[in-house]
Amino acid sequence: MRPKVVITGMGVVSALGIGAEANLSALLRGESGVCAVRYLPTEHREFPVGEVPMSGEELRQRLSLPPGIYSRTHLLGVLALREALEHSKLLQQNALALISGTTVGGMDVTEHYFPAPQPADRDIHDCGASTNEIADYFGCFEYTMTTSTACSSAMNALIMGKLLIESGERDIVVAGGSEALSLFHLNGFKSLMILDRERCRPFDQTRAGLNLGEGAAYLVLESETSALQRGAEILGVLSGGGNACDAHHQTASSEDGEGAYLAMTQAVSDAGVSPSDIGYVNAHGTGTPNNDASESAALRRVFGEKLPPVSSTKSYTGHTTSASGSIEAVFCLLAMREGFLPYQSEYQNFDEQCIVPVSGKECQRVSLHHVMCNAFGFGGNDSSIILSRYE
Amino acid sequence: MELIEELKTKMIEALNLEEMTPADIDDNAPLFGDEGLGLDSIDVLELIVLLERNYGIKIADPKQGKEIFASVRTMADYVAANRTK
Amino acid sequence: MEPKVIHRVKLTPRSLEVDGKRVAEAVAGESFLTHVYRQRQMDYPKFFKMDVLCKLGFIASEILLETEGAERFVPRADRAVILFNRNSSLNADRTFQRTIADPEEFYPSPSVFVYTLPNIVTGEIAIRNKYHGESNFILLPEKSEEAMNQAVERAFMDGETTSVLTGWLEAVSETEYEAEMKLIMMM
Repeated sequence: MRPKVVITGMGVVSALGIGAEANLSALLRGESGVCAVRYLPTEHREFPVGEVPMSGEELRQRLSLPPGIYSRTHLLGVLALREALEHSKLLQQNALALISGTTVGGMDVTEHYFPAPQPADRDIHDCGASTNEIADYFGCFEYTMTTSTACSSAMNALIMGKLLIESGERDIVVAGGSEALSLFHLNGFKSLMILDRERCRPFDQTRAGLNLGEGAAYLVLESETSALQRGAEILGVLSGGGNACDAHHQTASSEDGEGAYLAMTQAVSDAGVSPSDIGYVNAHGTGTPNNDASESAALRRVFGEKLPPVSSTKSYTGHTTSASGSIEAVFCLLAMREGFLPYQSEYQNFDEQCIVPVSGKECQRVSLHHVMCNAFGFGGNDSSIILSRYE
Repeated sequence: MELIEELKTKMIEALNLEEMTPADIDDNAPLFGDEGLGLDSIDVLELIVLLERNYGIKIADPKQGKEIFASVRTMADYVAANRTK
Repeated sequence: MEPKVIHRVKLTPRSLEVDGKRVAEAVAGESFLTHVYRQRQMDYPKFFKMDVLCKLGFIASEILLETEGAERFVPRADRAVILFNRNSSLNADRTFQRTIADPEEFYPSPSVFVYTLPNIVTGEIAIRNKYHGESNFILLPEKSEEAMNQAVERAFMDGETTSVLTGWLEAVSETEYEAEMKLIMMM
């Protein structure tokens, strides 16, 4: 019998604010953090973004780090991780494992120096280095691993962490991801012509692309036995995970959402529940015409006529790319704890290709027992997890 | 027509069509789909960059690409009518 | 039942080894990856669009799967693709960075940008072979057989995966690369 994997801590930083409570209150009010660029030194001011509302210098001071040049991915990651470790009362613990998802890594620092090369002592370009920099702030991690599967990176970190505990290799794994905006990927996404000049509108007939966002989130995953022994507060259960490949195209999702369908069905079966038990789905819902139609097709295949409430929170945070899987997992845990459905306050126009997301002007209160969270990446790397109430 | 040959050469370079020569590309054959060159959506985006870089043409909506890049001939007609450099 | 290595391929700029036997060596003039592609008559023009990491993964996986000799290109979800390296997509990152470095020549290339995601190679292998199982790209601080083996063992825990195409896949530049790819089956 595999150990049950429970969650005993969470930390999040996004355009909605620093910390779980700030994010929660914005979600309850249906307020968006996506607006005109403030910090990223780009000329492309026509694209709104979801920036964490602090400059690099303010972030550095908040963490009491000595003056210097820090990657924003590093700073955001440390902030979120610190909250998660404090929450789980693990700051004094040693020999922990950290699995972090990132793709862009320390690219903003590379950009700071470019076109001159970075000083040789700054080996932060390889993405794994940003995980180690985040870990080093705390000095309590003996094991680090980085997942890099584009926009499903952080979710795959969670799935990997779950497996590490289920296999009996670890009792506690901290998993999630961090990704800061960079000129590198803003220009990359622009060249793919999938950035909306307005705030993104997932599943809306008028949707015209995504907004990039940034942020970080980490969950403390722990075997139930360890959590009970420590007397840790249990926030929920990471009950299921699924990872499948769409095997269709480098960047486009298949029409019938095969990879997404397989990931979701696998997650549901891993959790030992049936689709009708799912009370809410936090969709990947990026706002691109292709993703939302494909994901809708997959959702209809998984749930049939009985589609649970679905919404995307990306019109609030922007698409936080590699970090989205763990940021949205925190939103799901908050929704379950507080008993509400995250809603899309700006959704207006029905599209027959798409599901109808939870919308309106105020928050619906519900009791949630099992929720699904999706994260899909370029490369067809589709993942889905099930979070359940601990009972 | 010179522009057609020029576009073929630039396309082969920009899209890394390693095993093709301009003579292999029919002026009127479809560039996308299973017939003809079989280019995909990333190739469309790369062709949009090609037009901007070489001819000063800005295309804001990739959907427009479908008609412009139907064949090398339609592409040449579009470039001739819209080029700014 | 335990995971067993069925076949392995090692590919460097100098040579190609299959199951420990050297089967091809570099020749002057042409890139070794292109040389192997042509020598083996792999008919996949998309190869020429790939960055070096993806080319490396494509060639190594093609040879591994040819060696396996099973029927190919049949959709399946029981085979996972899990690759590892240290430097992620470093070479493509540098190439893309160059397209956005000069304000006068500022033309970010979409086809180059795509390859700045290291997992595009797992995606390409999956597309080529119609694999719908798990796919993952993992960065490790250093090449560690132990860490890689553990990740593969965990992949078998899902009750669906019966084989894993896996290994170390590192490409620092067009001329410095190393693939050590294995096909592992539960038997």
